[in-house]
Amino acid sequence: MKQSRALKVAFKGLGKNKLRTFLMMIGIVIGITALTLIVSAGMGAQNRIMERVKKFGLDSMMVFAGGGREMGQPTSGLPAPSLKLEDAVALKREIRAVADVAPFNRKGQAEVKFQEKSVTTSVFGVTPSWAPVWDWDAAEGDFISEEDLTSLARICIIGPTVQKELFGTAEAIGETIRIGNVQFEIKGIMQAKGTSPGGGDMDNRIYIPLSTLLRRVMNVDHISGVKIRFKTAKDMSKTAADIKALLRERHQLASGVPDDFTVTTPTEVTNMAKKVAGTFNIFLALIAAISLITGGVVVANIMLISVNERRKEIGLRKAVGAKRKDIMLQFLYEATAVTLTGGVIGIVLGAIGAKILETVTQMPTAISWEIVALGIVFSSLVGVVAGLQPAKRAASLQPIEAMRA
Amino acid sequence: MNGNVIQAANVTKVYNKGGGGEVYAVHDVSLEIGKSEYVAIMGASGSGKSTLMNILGCLDKPTSGSLKLDGVEVSTLNDEELATIRNRKIGFVFQSFNLLARTNALENVELPLIYSDRSDITRLAREALVSVGLADRLHHNPGELSGGQQQRVAIARALVTDPEIIFADEPTGNLDSKSSLEIMTLFQQLNEKGRTIVLVTHEADIAAYAHRIIKIADGKIISDERNPEPRVAEPEINTLVAQEAAHETK
Ligand SMILES: Nc1ncnc2c1ncn2[C@@H]1O[C@H](COP(=O)(O)OP(=O)(O)OP(=O)(O)O)[C@@H](O)[C@H]1O
Ligand SMILES: [Mg+2]
Repeated sequence: MKQSRALKVAFKGLGKNKLRTFLMMIGIVIGITALTLIVSAGMGAQNRIMERVKKFGLDSMMVFAGGGREMGQPTSGLPAPSLKLEDAVALKREIRAVADVAPFNRKGQAEVKFQEKSVTTSVFGVTPSWAPVWDWDAAEGDFISEEDLTSLARICIIGPTVQKELFGTAEAIGETIRIGNVQFEIKGIMQAKGTSPGGGDMDNRIYIPLSTLLRRVMNVDHISGVKIRFKTAKDMSKTAADIKALLRERHQLASGVPDDFTVTTPTEVTNMAKKVAGTFNIFLALIAAISLITGGVVVANIMLISVNERRKEIGLRKAVGAKRKDIMLQFLYEATAVTLTGGVIGIVLGAIGAKILETVTQMPTAISWEIVALGIVFSSLVGVVAGLQPAKRAASLQPIEAMRA
Repeated sequence: MNGNVIQAANVTKVYNKGGGGEVYAVHDVSLEIGKSEYVAIMGASGSGKSTLMNILGCLDKPTSGSLKLDGVEVSTLNDEELATIRNRKIGFVFQSFNLLARTNALENVELPLIYSDRSDITRLAREALVSVGLADRLHHNPGELSGGQQQRVAIARALVTDPEIIFADEPTGNLDSKSSLEIMTLFQQLNEKGRTIVLVTHEADIAAYAHRIIKIADGKIISDERNPEPRVAEPEINTLVAQEAAHETK
């Protein structure tokens, strides 16, 4: 028997009893919808993390002042005064893999005034290396220079948000603003970066020379962190270990004393996020799998009943020349067609559900060809497994069944 | 090869009854049926007519004995080979029509063809339906057809593969007398065109249309005779119609 004919027979069989077909399909639809939704939410979360890590740079890491911190998020309150500018310089000098370092300190909630207008913003003290290390330069005017740094210059680069709030559409470069009691001349406007991973506005910042911030504004000699960029993304964990060792030595920490700094690598961040997301996903995928198995059991049961009800039809088919294989395939195709159709419907519903979830909860979701393939493979698999026993039973019926009243 | 399409030798079918007893549904039957014969198998209910026919038609396997169809020994064939024989050489007509529900006449007649290697199945099915006088009922489902029409669809299905032999088990059992006559007319026409027909019935006046009548009782052949004067169905329809008309005018 030709395969196309066998398929046609199966589809006709399904069409003849639409209620039965619908009942078989519904469990699979639910299972695959759930699976699609869960996997797409999981993938969305993972994608978002990967995006952040990529933005940060796979060849970079952060060292923050203070020990025992997680995930590279700035702590509230004052950073520990354990990290010094000299530490950053030493890292660049002594660790071979380091291409450049961008030490910084930061004064949060600073009041900045221009004439009668004022805004609250963060003031970052940085070095000229900030621009190459963060890939973030002035869009107009110039960024901080070496000379600005050595001369403790009172110049600043403002973020686009600050520019908009203080100047609107008027020219800002060359104007003078006040940070606390100190006057700064605007030297440039930063490139816009949008929202940070933590939800803050990265354009609501002002950059001044690090030396100026430390001596003239904050009157401290420590930094809050340093971003390190490497020559290559390879051997990050070894380099991280070298950095830790160097900093411990410089800070004269005896063995057993915990670090007074925190090193965060992108791999660490990714792994951590993946682990959290992974556990969650496995739990949810298990629920989806259970509903899919339940759906499969329902399909198997209804198929068995169907085979029993259709003994006469099967006998007739055999009487007119159907072979074992023909009947076997007819019922396997019926089961698989049901679950596959249910699977496709489930994928579509799941994708729609994922979009709704994304708009309602702001949770990122992602539909990829892998999810579609997963849904199709799983649903057909359920059909084959659930259909096998009923199909075998149908195929083993004798042609004489056609004669029974 | 001789002219016999069916050669059965010492065919026996035994069923085990509950409690260890045995029923000989067919008991040591030997018979030969030649090409283009029109044979009726007659007997009382439970005499073993259907069992014998099912064995001759390869629907069922004998407990012992030998069966040759067209000179080929079939009692040793496996299920798959028997399926092919049934598909190519044999057509069945059942008492209860056995049409697929919610499936139109055309698709019902296509059924044996989908298990063959023929490709022009719709054309062949249409031709078979035309030949049984159902050209205007191709797309009707069984539920939309009269009993006689349903049985004609079933005959078209038996014919569509152009088989050597047609087996019919009580084909008129569920039909009124006029429909029965139409079916018997069809069988007669098929036989005249050279088709071998084996008709199972318990009614003597249906067996009377056949050219040879084999009577069985308790699974054994008790007589096997030529019918010297077979009834002819076609003119009887006209008589019946005339009678009915006369009855109505009274
Ligand atoms: N599957 C079976 N199991 C046990 N006994 C059976 C089976 N099929 C038939 N028989 C017995 O075999 C005998 C012959 O049955 P068969 O159906 O061939 O009779 P028949 O002549 O066709 O009768 P009818 O005119 O009522 O159709 C009967 O006694 C019946 O009870
Ligand atoms: Mg019978």
